[in-house]
Amino acid sequence: MLDSWSANGTVAKIRYIHGRMFTKENYHEMLMRRTVPEAADYLAHSARYKDAFRDVDPNTVHRGFIEELLQRENFNTYMRLCRFQELDKLPFYDFLIKSKEIECILSMINNINSGLDNSYLNDLPGYVIKHSKVSLLEMSRAESFEQLLKILRNTPYYKILVKIPPLEDGSADYTECELRLRTAYYAELLDTAKHDFSEMQSKQLSEIISREIDCLNIINAYRMKAFFGYSPEEIKKRQIRIKTGTGSVKRLDKYYELESPEDMLEWVKRSKYSKGGKQTSEYIESIVRSSQFCYLSHILSQSTAAPVSLYAFMKLCSTEALNIVHIIEAIRYNADPSAVEKDLIITA
Amino acid sequence: MAIEKMSLVNIAGLMDELDATLKRCCESGCFHIEPAGNSPDSAMKPLSEKNEYDRPLKDLAQLSTQLGITLKETDFTDCDLSAPQDFNSLFEKYNTPFSELNTKRLELTQRISELGGAVRQIDHLKGMHSDFQQLFSMKYVSVRIGKLPVDNLAKLDYYDENFFFVPFETGKSFCWGMYFVPERDKQRVDDIFRSMYFERIRIPSYVSGDADEALEKLKQTIDADTVENAKLTEQINELATKAEPELQKAFSKLRFIHDTFELRRNAAALNDKFYLKGFIPEKEKDRFDKLFEDMRSVSVVYLPPDADASCEPPTVLKNNFLTRPFTMLVEMYGLPEYKGYNPTAFVAITYTLLFGIMFGDLGQGLLIVLGGLALKKKLGAKISGLVTRLGISSMIFGTLYGSFFGYEELLDPVFESIGLDFLPLKVFKQTNFILITAVAIGVALIIISMILNIYIGFKNKDYEKAIFGCNGIAGLVFYSSVAAGLVETLMFDVKVMSAPFVIFLIVIPLVCIFCRTPFSIAVKYKQWRLSEDEEKMTVGNFIVENFFEMFEFLLSYVSNTMSFLRVGGFVLSHAGMMLVVMTLMEMCSAAAQPLVLVLGNLFVMVMEGMIVAIQIIRLEFYEIFSRFYEGGGKPFEPVGVKFTAQTE
Repeated sequence: MLDSWSANGTVAKIRYIHGRMFTKENYHEMLMRRTVPEAADYLAHSARYKDAFRDVDPNTVHRGFIEELLQRENFNTYMRLCRFQELDKLPFYDFLIKSKEIECILSMINNINSGLDNSYLNDLPGYVIKHSKVSLLEMSRAESFEQLLKILRNTPYYKILVKIPPLEDGSADYTECELRLRTAYYAELLDTAKHDFSEMQSKQLSEIISREIDCLNIINAYRMKAFFGYSPEEIKKRQIRIKTGTGSVKRLDKYYELESPEDMLEWVKRSKYSKGGKQTSEYIESIVRSSQFCYLSHILSQSTAAPVSLYAFMKLCSTEALNIVHIIEAIRYNADPSAVEKDLIITA
Repeated sequence: MAIEKMSLVNIAGLMDELDATLKRCCESGCFHIEPAGNSPDSAMKPLSEKNEYDRPLKDLAQLSTQLGITLKETDFTDCDLSAPQDFNSLFEKYNTPFSELNTKRLELTQRISELGGAVRQIDHLKGMHSDFQQLFSMKYVSVRIGKLPVDNLAKLDYYDENFFFVPFETGKSFCWGMYFVPERDKQRVDDIFRSMYFERIRIPSYVSGDADEALEKLKQTIDADTVENAKLTEQINELATKAEPELQKAFSKLRFIHDTFELRRNAAALNDKFYLKGFIPEKEKDRFDKLFEDMRSVSVVYLPPDADASCEPPTVLKNNFLTRPFTMLVEMYGLPEYKGYNPTAFVAITYTLLFGIMFGDLGQGLLIVLGGLALKKKLGAKISGLVTRLGISSMIFGTLYGSFFGYEELLDPVFESIGLDFLPLKVFKQTNFILITAVAIGVALIIISMILNIYIGFKNKDYEKAIFGCNGIAGLVFYSSVAAGLVETLMFDVKVMSAPFVIFLIVIPLVCIFCRTPFSIAVKYKQWRLSEDEEKMTVGNFIVENFFEMFEFLLSYVSNTMSFLRVGGFVLSHAGMMLVVMTLMEMCSAAAQPLVLVLGNLFVMVMEGMIVAIQIIRLEFYEIFSRFYEGGGKPFEPVGVKFTAQTE
């Protein structure tokens, strides 16, 4: 177990980078740009992304590539932070790579199910390939779920996916695959956190991860109810259910049993999942994610533990990238800047 | 030394003479204008016409900037232009040829930039030895040249499509190269590469040969365009040289007309009459009157400064030669109100005294005086005057300390010959004396500040401030009694803290401070109320609020007094720093000693001089001003037109 003091350098480094992250004012300034090249130029001149955009010509860069550059910068930052004090020797610190691997596997399953040629390869983030223990490129050769399982045979994902029965038409059950992969991912994260770190750090991580799962479940359940009219039982079946000792599973069961989406929204507004967030918003995603943003920012400012800080920081980075992508799309489609500003995930 | 007496001036006249009147007001240099006609029930309405000189002003400023002309104030007496149209014509006269030349220049610059971009891209393809024209004229195979993100290179092998990619140069982020694809598969492969963010490089159609040849051709074209561009720039410069004298005069005149027109917004109008109001110093009345003698329709009426409740009279501090430089310190804190107290003399005395005490050195003081005099032109009369006075004070106290550029014994024989045994003061041998004196100075200054507060309070009939406040008579009695009691008891072992002393000089003043608001209301209105707004104040609230305020007052008496310890601290610090300089000097060789002495003295002068100056400002503003002085006055700003090249 790494002594928590030995990772203080990483925490300091994280705080330094966190200080350069985009603020409300930066988003506002970016929103004032009228074209995508102007927005790209703004990013290229920002302290946060100037290195990522060094060789990029803002006048010709594709907006999809801007998104990839943002993601790549976040991923590279994560890799640098992990290597800085050799934290990557502990399994917990693979959390972002594993998350990306799951996204790739799900993308491939989707690709097989829909019969889309090359869409997996096109969407595959190139920067993950060399860091992944799974042969992400080899996966592109799979033409069926069985072939995919064969390629994944020597990976931890095989055991999870092999138990999933195929649908009647022989294709893989995407929803089930996603649920099992994500459940296994979070279960493993909690487990490694418990083994790799001190009791206090493990408790903090457990709280963060548990809350993250809750947020995912809350948003998914609301969508299932509002857009597909699922019953409480159907909703419960499709949720990530991991007992973390925080009592959230029981608490959320009451939420799933609410009659209408409006009741669910009201429940969320009264719960801790809206604290510090945009409580007046009509969109559950906006309320929950902004509250989560506030919570993670608070954690980052308080914690002196490297795993806690890194985990919270990477989640914040991901939110920042989402905000920027949202702004770029708004600029591209001439959306009203004030409306877009309201939708950004920032603290209320 | 007080505050200049002002007069409220009302000027009325026919609209035809408004511009001339405003011009004379500007020329007077003593008219502080106030917006007229702002009162909602007034029949007169403020003038809010659109300034027609706005557009020509901006146009001329922009044209001058584009021509590279730096606008400066110029005599425009021989400039005939006056109407907006005149200035528009002048603008057109030079803007038309300039626009033609500039458009051509911009086009060329754009082309050079594009070609430069192509050169940078082709530079990455230097390993390619095929003719571009041959490549692009192939019938069954398409070629695309460009750059691919390095991360996506590995993906190329996993596409089953019919293409091959030839890399030329791989950087940190991109790989430059080209791919070949059969004409029939072009669409699909192009989509694949687009999805991998392949950025195509468009090679100009006239470029032929391989990469090296293409580069050569592009560079030749850039060189030719650059020469052409230089010629155009030269022609524009010639135009600028020709236009400059005329533009400078025209802009200066236009600025004056424009800004005078802007002043019209301060005037009010009723039918064909205008009305202006403002303040002038009372002593300027005669001179101001004479300015309007020849204007028949214009009448100037003088009123007492407080005649119009809608405008506050501005403040002009009246100071003599000795204290004038210290005005800037008072202005920095905030001017007193028109009926307030001018504290400049008090600041001048205390600031000079404290600086001398804290930075006493005969030699360094002399250098400060000489520096202040020498840099009069550069620093301005005020700063130079301030520095000179501080230098003299430093010299006087330096003499008392016997300190000359850090040599502490140099003046001993002088004092011995005069027969003054107690001088010079030996700083390190009389540390306690210096620190106690510093606190004593603080006590004296705080007491003087309280006396000033009492005087101002009575002058303004503010009894809470004058009698019952923490800086009023009650505060003064309490503070001086405690100070005297402590000195007598601790230093002279005289037991003065008897019961009557404590009750009458400490407890009763404290009760007065605690109940200052109801007591002052009782004196003023002959009524017993806990606050001016009784409904909002209960007895409980009153006790809690005043308990904390009392706590703050008592704390401020202690902290403000102790704050003056820094005066003694800096006396020691100055001597200590000079001791370090002398020790360093003795450690060096004989040749280096003068250099160490000069550098050491300069360092101490600059660093400590600045710190001491700042610390005294702090003492003045926090410990002294907070006891009696309130800023909030309005500066006197005579109306006028100042030249500026800015148009926004």
